Amino acid sequence: MTNEDIKNLILEIIKDIDDEADFESHDPDKALREQLELDSMDFLDIVMELRKRHKLQIPEEDYPHLATLNSCVRYLQPLLKDA
Amino acid sequence: MSAAIRAARFIPEVLLIEKHSRLGGLNSYFYRNNTLYETGLHAITNYADPGNKQAPINRLFRQLKLRRKDFSFCQQIKSEVVFRNLESLTFSNDFDVFDTEIRKKFPRAAVRFQEMIDFINHFDPFLPSPFRSTKFFLAEKLQAPLLAEMILCPLMYYGSSRENDMDLSQFVIMFRAIFQEGMFRPRGTIKEFLDLLFTHYLEMGGSLRKNCGVKKILIRQNRAIGVELEHGETLECDHILSTIGHDETLRLISGAGASQSTDLARLGFVETMYSLQHKSTPSLPKNKTIIFFNDGERFSYKNPTDFVDFRSGVICFTANFQGLPQKSMMEIRSTHLANYGKWKHLSTQPDRYSCQKQDTSRRSAQMLENLIGSFATNIVYEDTFTPVTIERYTAKINGAIYGSPEKVKDGNIGYPNLFLAGTDQGFLGIIGSMLSGVSIVNQHILPKL
Repeated sequence: MTNEDIKNLILEIIKDIDDEADFESHDPDKALREQLELDSMDFLDIVMELRKRHKLQIPEEDYPHLATLNSCVRYLQPLLKDA
Repeated sequence: MSAAIRAARFIPEVLLIEKHSRLGGLNSYFYRNNTLYETGLHAITNYADPGNKQAPINRLFRQLKLRRKDFSFCQQIKSEVVFRNLESLTFSNDFDVFDTEIRKKFPRAAVRFQEMIDFINHFDPFLPSPFRSTKFFLAEKLQAPLLAEMILCPLMYYGSSRENDMDLSQFVIMFRAIFQEGMFRPRGTIKEFLDLLFTHYLEMGGSLRKNCGVKKILIRQNRAIGVELEHGETLECDHILSTIGHDETLRLISGAGASQSTDLARLGFVETMYSLQHKSTPSLPKNKTIIFFNDGERFSYKNPTDFVDFRSGVICFTANFQGLPQKSMMEIRSTHLANYGKWKHLSTQPDRYSCQKQDTSRRSAQMLENLIGSFATNIVYEDTFTPVTIERYTAKINGAIYGSPEKVKDGNIGYPNLFLAGTDQGFLGIIGSMLSGVSIVNQHILPKL
């Protein structure tokens, strides 16, 4: 997967969690939770969807790596490079 | 059910085991003379508009992948707390109504009430914490004993498992749920609501067994390895989430036997549903949804010494919701505290038990007529449930609707793959118990997959 693919994957998962999520003015370096009004329960959904779709096991201590869109890409790139 | 839906989103094999022939537990339905009657629903708490993303109901819908637009909800018109001959407070889903009432009727407590609201708005009731008395909190915060009791009356009737007090976290949850968010009901019947949830569960890949009691939870080396069903079959599993109650779960574990989590009294209730023709009751209130009332000097929320304590209770007009289609029949529901032991003892003598139910229905109607006007001569059908009825249909110890007075907030009952959700985890009401199921699956099961 390219960085762009990973970005789109995360946005697609978020759109699936909340079909009214607004990405218009989204800053990829700012926290997803605050910008999109996601809570910890929604956040778990991102982790679970990555597991369901790409068999990725993300340990709890790595959750902070998924804080922003860009940090998601940095963290997931090596894990999804062959996907 | 919500725990099962949540689990089925990410786990291929999820089985929901239901002892009864119908889903829904306390919020189910039955048929008499080809008419569907709901068993428990007055109203659902925690109303929020669809746009309020952080509201519990919308968080719940997202977690279950349910779409709000698939459900049609009707908000309450307005409700009331009435302490007869003393004071009344009106509230609705617009918190300003309640706020204005308190400023008008308790002007000396208005500033302190606002300070209490600030406290509630900044309090996290979901953090694990020891029991903190709401009675002491309100006495200190409001310094207005009547107002404190009037605030507590609805919150206790709709969600306190503890006599004459409630845990402060529970108080905050209930205050938000009832006064700050508000009440509503599905536009259709509870059956239609349950059917939507169940269809969704099946679509997620879950399965169900009804009429299927669990005889034993099988434990090996302190791990749950499966269940033995009442008819003898054994099912193996990786995780169990029990929603039957804390002590009720412990009773199913071999060796845990008679262990009990608390000696505090469990609270029982009686409820009578009066069915009437709409046109026969023109003088009954049409703009009130629920009335929480007290007729004594002080509000007493404890196990009564007699069969029923008629001095306080709840009156629900099930037809009085905004936009609810009017039917030819209407229902009034009355709820009071009841003594399980006395009803249980009497249930061994069916004739006397039946007479006592009739007497309860009659006396409750008399009490209600003092508050809402006459209706008893127009009753077409009536049905009363007692704590024994609740015990029979839900297997809750002592028929206690709100379960154990001691809650297990993290759902952990000492096993790495057996957890508690629902009433005894501490979230009450329909939205609360559904969120409980979701949060326990999130907290304990999904991270371990």
